[in-house]
Amino acid sequence: MKVASGQPWWRALLTTALALAGALAAWQLLTATWGVISPARFPPPLEAYGALRQIVLDGYSNGRLHDHVLRSVVLVTMGFVVASAAGVALGLAMGASRVVEAVANPVFLLLRPIPPLAWIPLAIVWLGLGDAAKMMVIFMAAFVPSVINSYTGVRQIERPIFEAAAMLDARGVRYWREVLVPGALPSIFTGLRLSLQASWTTLVAAELVGAIAGLGTILNQAAQDIYPGMIVVGMASVALCGWIMTQGLGWIERRAMPWRVVH
Amino acid sequence: MAIIRFEHVDRVFHQNGQDFTALKDINLEVKDREFVAIVGPSGCGKTTCMRMAAGLEHPTGGTVSVDGVVVRAPGPDRAVVFQQFALFPWKTVWDNVEFGLLSLGIAEAERRRRIEHYIGLMGLHGYERAYPHQLSGGMQQRVAIARAYVLDPKVLLMDEPFGALDAQTRVVMQEELVRLARQHPRTVLFITHAVEEAVYLADRIVVMSRRPGTLREILDVKSARQAERWDEIERIEDVMDQPTFVHLRTHVWKLLREQQAPGDTH
Amino acid sequence: MLQPRLATNRWLQLSAIGAIGFLAVWTSAALSGLTSRDFLPTPWDVLQRFMHLVREPFSGATLGMHLLSSLQRFGMGFGLAALVGVPLGLLMARFRWLDRLVTPAFEAVRFVAPIAWVPFAALWFGTGIGGPVLIIFMGAFPPVLINTYRGARQVDLKYIEAAQMLGASHWRAMTQVMLPATVPSIVAGLRISAGLGWQSLVGAELIVASSGVGYLMVKGQAAISTATVMSGMLAIGVVGVIIDAALRRVQLTIETRRGL
Repeated sequence: MKVASGQPWWRALLTTALALAGALAAWQLLTATWGVISPARFPPPLEAYGALRQIVLDGYSNGRLHDHVLRSVVLVTMGFVVASAAGVALGLAMGASRVVEAVANPVFLLLRPIPPLAWIPLAIVWLGLGDAAKMMVIFMAAFVPSVINSYTGVRQIERPIFEAAAMLDARGVRYWREVLVPGALPSIFTGLRLSLQASWTTLVAAELVGAIAGLGTILNQAAQDIYPGMIVVGMASVALCGWIMTQGLGWIERRAMPWRVVH
Repeated sequence: MAIIRFEHVDRVFHQNGQDFTALKDINLEVKDREFVAIVGPSGCGKTTCMRMAAGLEHPTGGTVSVDGVVVRAPGPDRAVVFQQFALFPWKTVWDNVEFGLLSLGIAEAERRRRIEHYIGLMGLHGYERAYPHQLSGGMQQRVAIARAYVLDPKVLLMDEPFGALDAQTRVVMQEELVRLARQHPRTVLFITHAVEEAVYLADRIVVMSRRPGTLREILDVKSARQAERWDEIERIEDVMDQPTFVHLRTHVWKLLREQQAPGDTH
Repeated sequence: MLQPRLATNRWLQLSAIGAIGFLAVWTSAALSGLTSRDFLPTPWDVLQRFMHLVREPFSGATLGMHLLSSLQRFGMGFGLAALVGVPLGLLMARFRWLDRLVTPAFEAVRFVAPIAWVPFAALWFGTGIGGPVLIIFMGAFPPVLINTYRGARQVDLKYIEAAQMLGASHWRAMTQVMLPATVPSIVAGLRISAGLGWQSLVGAELIVASSGVGYLMVKGQAAISTATVMSGMLAIGVVGVIIDAALRRVQLTIETRRGL
């Protein structure tokens, strides 16, 4: 799947196009033409397309598609940025200082096994059904992976690097900015990727449970209306947005670490 | 007049409730601008000696001092060249070499002068903007050596610096180090298990026994080197043909052989 | 400089300070009277509620019975993911045509968060067990497939070559060399998979279930009983840790036997 092949770009594009065309054809055949899958269970391509047109042009579930996307993406970004900043800071501190690690560890061990989605009921009790609850849940989802990966990022810096830094008298801010953080950066980005995925998943779930607008509400409404075409549109939107955000993070990652060998 | 002095140095480790004596009663003086190599079997504690001079480890008994001051912590006055290079992967060659100079607060013009000088000397021209991962092992070690020399340190401590390189690169690096050392004489403590390397590079060779490490014998190479004018011989293979070289090499080998207990797998 | 380990006493002292500090802040906030005890219970309240739920039914069943429902769904979803994922991963590694066929479909669906399958789960299975199982499957399946596939592809060529040199047939090479060599990757994949599956379970039960720990938490939320919700969280956390610890044991055993 992910094993690089070094094909010329037009070949890869052609293969993908053919695969897509094939998938589309299979979809149409299985649902509408042959009726193997009942259209009530899974919509034929035309119905999905119809739903797409509807939500883009007229709107569905209190808004048009771009309204929903904007809302969800903005919420996720805000929550993710705040949670990751806090998580990375704590993780680095725990990695650099055994004292901080010892004190913070118990609370962290308590929070860590709780799946992000499990925070939803508690958030709703404490903060109601609005955006505040969603932010709380996103925070809890994104916080933990950032802490863990920043921590391991510091710990996996090889000992000779630390010794060289000591020999070269790297101290204070310089030590953090020029040794600790760059050394941990690859791991930090792994954590950020996981945090982003968790944030996104959690937001969609939170919106499914209760919200006015956002991608999750499309799914919720479509389920209630028994509108399979719209369900597909909702799922595809969730997948696409998630993918784009992950790619965006990857782009930032490559810019931030010009010294990395790209695998 | 920088000298390294080991006075009655002991190093005892505690592991699994037992005491290991790694070093016992080491007494050694490295004179100003002298190149001393320590050879010994694996695990004899030679690296530990160097690390104590660097301030990366501490003796359990006795003192290690550099230039009259007892060593407490690492610092740029005792520059270290590590076996694994230990360059910062996220910094370019130039930035790596510059790092210690910034710690010392050296002004920009002087920094530039020094860095360019050693980059030229180590054959790193054109690679100033490269990252370590783009360089071969030999090149990386050149950067590490430049990084150490550029500090104008009191002493240089080298921990099997060519151990991670392949055989051919190793020989090239030895020749370069000799040229560098003769051009910029400094007090050097050089750790190696390669006998020929020690004989080729050093003024004096310290042979250590196996654990617990003690000083087995100290050999003078300098007088032979000067008498037979090795420094005027271009290639290392020709130096290795010189009679005193052969004699010293064999002698050290014999000493090391004696250390091997039956059944040793290295 | 990387700091040396703290002495055990010091570590314990500092950990205790952290734990006690946390509990102290929590308890004082709960007792401060700013909110009702239902809204913010003390840690002790939560534990008491937990014990109560173990004995007395809430929303149809005791905590234990809800957990059992959850575990049942988890078992089915995870089991299905393993049963489909492992063989498929191996076959895809072996037969390129299968790889080319499955990969595009897989990559397309993979980015859909498991929770996004809830509408279809509701549509196809109502509140039956199929719904949560589908969602757990969608969460647990990708890691198993990916890890098995990668593990099989990366089997060190030299083992296969050694097998060929020693005259092994195709079938023997696959079953006695490639499969055992892939086992560590498979187990690693299963471990990740179990974690993700357990997380997906929680999400599913918040919406499409009428029993189970997630359902318990939703009912607790509706009753504004934070203690109930937190008891649910506690149960989920503990079971999740146990499952992961068990799989970690398996992983370590396999690794030590291999000298990895």
